[in-house]
Amino acid sequence: MKTLTIVAGVLLVFVFVWERVDVVRLGYQIERLKTQKALLERERDQLQVKFSALMAPERIAKVATEKLGLVPPQQGQVLMVHQPGDIPGLSLPPVEQVRLASHISTGRVSE
Amino acid sequence: MTVGPSRGRRYVMLFLLLCGFSVILFRLVTLQVLQAAELTAKADRQHQKTVSFEGARGMVSDRHGKVLAMNVEVPSVFGVPTSLESPSTVARHLSPVLHIRSDELVRKLQQDKSFVWLARKVEPEQGRLLEQLSLDGIGVVMEGRRFYPKGPLLAHVLGFSGMDGQGLEGLERRYDSHLHGEKRVTVLQRDALGRTVFPKGLAEQVPTPGHALTLTVDEVIQYIAEKELEEAVTHTRAKSGTIIVVEPQSGAILALAVSPRFDPNVVAALTPDRWRNRALTDTYEPGSTMKMVVAAAALEEKVMAPDSMVFGENGHMVIANTTIHDHDKLGWMTFSEVIQKSSNIGAAKTGMALGEQRLYRYLQAFGFGERTDIDLPGEVSGLLKAPKDWGRRSLASISMGQEVGVTPLQMVSAVATLANGGVMMKPYVVSEVRDQKGRLLKEVLPQVKRRIVSQDTARAMTTMLEGVVTNGTGTKAAIPGFRVAGKTGTAQKIDSRTGAYSSTQFVGSFVGYVPAESPRLAMIVVLDEPQGEAWGGAVAAPVFRRVGEQVLNYLGVSREDTVKIALAMKDH
Repeated sequence: MKTLTIVAGVLLVFVFVWERVDVVRLGYQIERLKTQKALLERERDQLQVKFSALMAPERIAKVATEKLGLVPPQQGQVLMVHQPGDIPGLSLPPVEQVRLASHISTGRVSE
Repeated sequence: MTVGPSRGRRYVMLFLLLCGFSVILFRLVTLQVLQAAELTAKADRQHQKTVSFEGARGMVSDRHGKVLAMNVEVPSVFGVPTSLESPSTVARHLSPVLHIRSDELVRKLQQDKSFVWLARKVEPEQGRLLEQLSLDGIGVVMEGRRFYPKGPLLAHVLGFSGMDGQGLEGLERRYDSHLHGEKRVTVLQRDALGRTVFPKGLAEQVPTPGHALTLTVDEVIQYIAEKELEEAVTHTRAKSGTIIVVEPQSGAILALAVSPRFDPNVVAALTPDRWRNRALTDTYEPGSTMKMVVAAAALEEKVMAPDSMVFGENGHMVIANTTIHDHDKLGWMTFSEVIQKSSNIGAAKTGMALGEQRLYRYLQAFGFGERTDIDLPGEVSGLLKAPKDWGRRSLASISMGQEVGVTPLQMVSAVATLANGGVMMKPYVVSEVRDQKGRLLKEVLPQVKRRIVSQDTARAMTTMLEGVVTNGTGTKAAIPGFRVAGKTGTAQKIDSRTGAYSSTQFVGSFVGYVPAESPRLAMIVVLDEPQGEAWGGAVAAPVFRRVGEQVLNYLGVSREDTVKIALAMKDH
């Protein structure tokens, strides 16, 4: 009985020590993961800033006009067309609707 | 049994032990009692690290969630002069990376301090290079830096924040209490190698980021307004310019453009003159755009009707020993034509028919002489004198838009009131405030300020203002396929040298709304001191047309002739 108590006591001490060591180990692990998380968040933020800068309307307009040779639609070249059913008595096929604006255009827009 | 010598040895031993214990006791008392505070602090310094955390500043985005301002962590570089052996060698290595002159760095590193900032919030690449250099006595810490990814877009509204993350101008200042992140100081335990040991209350150490703002502004409409304003200012060689686009039914600001622009990412070299939001800090004499307000008051008070006849005095009328001129020798005309042709004499007669008190009451009701209370800092109330301070000519002058100082924001609010059937809405820029988890903290709903004129008066005004665009001074504001209502304004500026009205310095403006029958936009275009032809109808009205047409296309507003054209296409 006495031996059993001693063995149990020693075991308890080991468990306690192991638990303390594990807490410290996990602490380091948490710290490492925290650092990793912070780095990833930083990278995400930097990418978001970059993305927003690339999506700036001013930049897109510049690329569209200077690199792709596009021009803004001239006066009267844009016509909003209702969906079939919105206008009584009008049922144009979808392709017709898309081409409608260019049909009536008088400017430089090509199809 | 011999006792003597052993007893002597025992005493010696006892004495030595007592001495030993006394020394230990003395040392214990010294360490634990006398030097306790000092040593505890020293130990704390060695195995504890005090870290100041600051939550990131909240994000600002437009009405569609497009990011306009956000925080990113970037490196800041510091030095520990007391631990440097050769500041000049270190400075030589640092100079090309930080782009700071070597002698300036040496001066900082030779100070008798244990910590000096060398460069704050530098580019991430510079931080990486410094880490590679691994210089003793030089460290890098991460700090939040405010970025405005769209550059100058909406800069006058957004404002900017300072080096320590405090809002200094614009929304950054007005909403600083929401935007700034929480500050928290935490003590971390360190082991023998300096690593952080499992800190207590780990979750509590992450400070809460600031709240995010969602604006009423649409970045595409803002871009259209800024682009067209820049072009107009360049083309007319104007000193400055302003465009404000408002949703009349709510008072929500869709765009607020000011020229010259500035980049809030680089404000250090700029003067306040550059970042001032002229749309609400600068007043100007509005000139003929004020006739719109006088006309609305006259219709509401039934002093005039659209078809009332007014005599134009053939272009000259003497009031208080001064002569009022019209640009043409106008004879009899309807009240609608007074507005269409922008007759000064007709407006003066209308003002006189209203009388001082009634005119003043309507000017006040339309918001002149008081702040609109928009949620932006720096707004001024303009200048509107009380009738007791008016001179003999004031009634006529004010009816023509002189002797009164307004901001572009006040004037666009007035026109938006007519577009909204006579009900004035409070203008606003921020529509939502959310916390870091996206929970709604504050929602700004459209707020009615007051009804100023009846719906009938507003409708009659719309018809009269449409006449300005179809047959009057504002024909260049016409947008094909849409009914436009508006009013031109050309005001002489006061010459600061003579104190009299200048014959060369003007403010050209146009205010209006479109589509007139069901307005989606109310807009003002103001150009300060355009060179050459300065008439509002010549310089500002075309800008209104260009912005209006693009914005209506962007919003997908149908032309009024859509059905006709579409049906014609079908038959064809």
